[in-house]
Amino acid sequence: MDAFLSGLKAIVDTLGATVLLPVVIFIIALILGARAGKAFRAAVTIGVAFIGINLVLGLMLGTIGDSAQAIVRNTGIQRDIVDVGWPSAAAIAFGSSVGLWVIPIAIVVNIALLMARLTRTLNVDVWNFWHFAFIGSLATAATGSLGYGLVIAALMAALALLFADWSARAVQQFYGVPGVSVPHLASAQILPIAIVVNWVIDRIPGINKIDLSTETIERRLGVFGEPVVLGLIIGLVIGVIAYYNAGDASTVISKVLQTGMTLAAAMLLLPRMVKILMEGLLPVSEAAHEFVRKRAGDRELLVGLDSAILIGHPAAISSSLILVPIAILLSIILPGNRVILFADLAVIPFIVAMTAPVLRGNVFRMVVVGTITLAAGFYVANALAPLFTSAAVASGFTMPANAVQITSVVDGFLWISYVVIAAIQNLAVFGLILLAAIIALCFWLYRRNTDAWERAAGAGEPVEASQTQEA
Amino acid sequence: MALQKNVLFACGTGIATSTLVSHAVTEAMKERGININSTQCKATEVRSMLNGVDLVVSTTQLPTDLGVPVITTLAFLTGVGKADVLDKIEATLRG
Repeated sequence: MDAFLSGLKAIVDTLGATVLLPVVIFIIALILGARAGKAFRAAVTIGVAFIGINLVLGLMLGTIGDSAQAIVRNTGIQRDIVDVGWPSAAAIAFGSSVGLWVIPIAIVVNIALLMARLTRTLNVDVWNFWHFAFIGSLATAATGSLGYGLVIAALMAALALLFADWSARAVQQFYGVPGVSVPHLASAQILPIAIVVNWVIDRIPGINKIDLSTETIERRLGVFGEPVVLGLIIGLVIGVIAYYNAGDASTVISKVLQTGMTLAAAMLLLPRMVKILMEGLLPVSEAAHEFVRKRAGDRELLVGLDSAILIGHPAAISSSLILVPIAILLSIILPGNRVILFADLAVIPFIVAMTAPVLRGNVFRMVVVGTITLAAGFYVANALAPLFTSAAVASGFTMPANAVQITSVVDGFLWISYVVIAAIQNLAVFGLILLAAIIALCFWLYRRNTDAWERAAGAGEPVEASQTQEA
Repeated sequence: MALQKNVLFACGTGIATSTLVSHAVTEAMKERGININSTQCKATEVRSMLNGVDLVVSTTQLPTDLGVPVITTLAFLTGVGKADVLDKIEATLRG
């Protein structure tokens, strides 16, 4: 088995994601029952997306990397781990040797847990399988073994379903989305942190009364929600710090403006490239939906969706607008940090959205929880950056010559990634067993005391109102 | 000649779920004789993208004072109630 897997990994490494992933996607789509023509077009589209992402990533890393080196020379501040954003992370994940297997793995895990009645969620969000593949590919980068990556991907798929079931009632009530759950690891990981911090804040007199109005925040800080403008501003600031002493005035001005424009471009183009990847995955995701639904029986199931559906809520928007400058400040003041934030400043809503039910939409508390999570996240990112970078290289992405490492807030900042990697690096196979045991224990505890768990996640009484809404 | 309409599709990222909905709606409306010129954006960008837009279809909550018809729906993601929402979209675009 091991020889087979390592042989397979060798083939993957030679062909690269641009060639192999389309082939795999084509086969998977056919097996799931998509029409051949549709499947073929989808497969080619995915290959195209990889080439696009690679181009933009090169542009962005080149610019930020050069600036980062200049900043070190100028100020002695070392920020050479570039936040390349979730679009890159998703591409790395799907392009990795684990990514090739993640769709069938996550579907099998979902069907198995549905049949065992251990979950109520039908995870049709095939796109977000990348989170499982991503942590899996970190595991493979850490151990050099594809087997580890595949097992981790399967465990993460199960964990996402647990988080989805656990938070479903709270999310449905708070966001008004009946019949839905959110099996999204990057969003769900904050839940335990939110529960603990909320408990603490409740017990601090004075602080426990604070709330913020969402409307003023949206009006004042709305610019942080527009990626192009955000990219331009950050680019200009980075440009000034890097090149203020680059020569005469005209050289300085042109260098600064060029950095600003290039990063504005990267901020807009990177998600556009990933949209192509998403379009390619659509037929697979549709086919998977049907495939799993047919096998799940007649039971009333929760449909697992992307947390993107939660992000428009004023509380989620406001708190993440405030968190953008806070995150930048953290990146400057945290001792030992080498991460330079960029692309994922646009997706902070994903980090905080799931806290809203626990914190009753209290923006102040969401900001506190978000700040704590991000601060811890920086250290996770610093620790995981070498693995993140080698996973990217293994997926066929070109790293620029200026010796930067890469990370992203989603998923490079997640404590789950850190725990997984720490477990397998220190304990090898026992780490896998330990992780599996912990996840199984959580499944068991949740089933034993479902109501208490769901209340902790922010659910209220199982009200009739939500049921009438459903009917 | 088929009716030509501009529809803005919004979601949390402007990429993931809005792509799915955009494809579904554009295809279905074509069959009903409406050509859709679709754009996508993040929920936070909606306000600056409204120029010339006839309808906004979103998978996530949007402000209520946009001055343009807004339909917020998960039907295309969950598969429940798709036909109803399509009727509503068609009615809004023809109205």
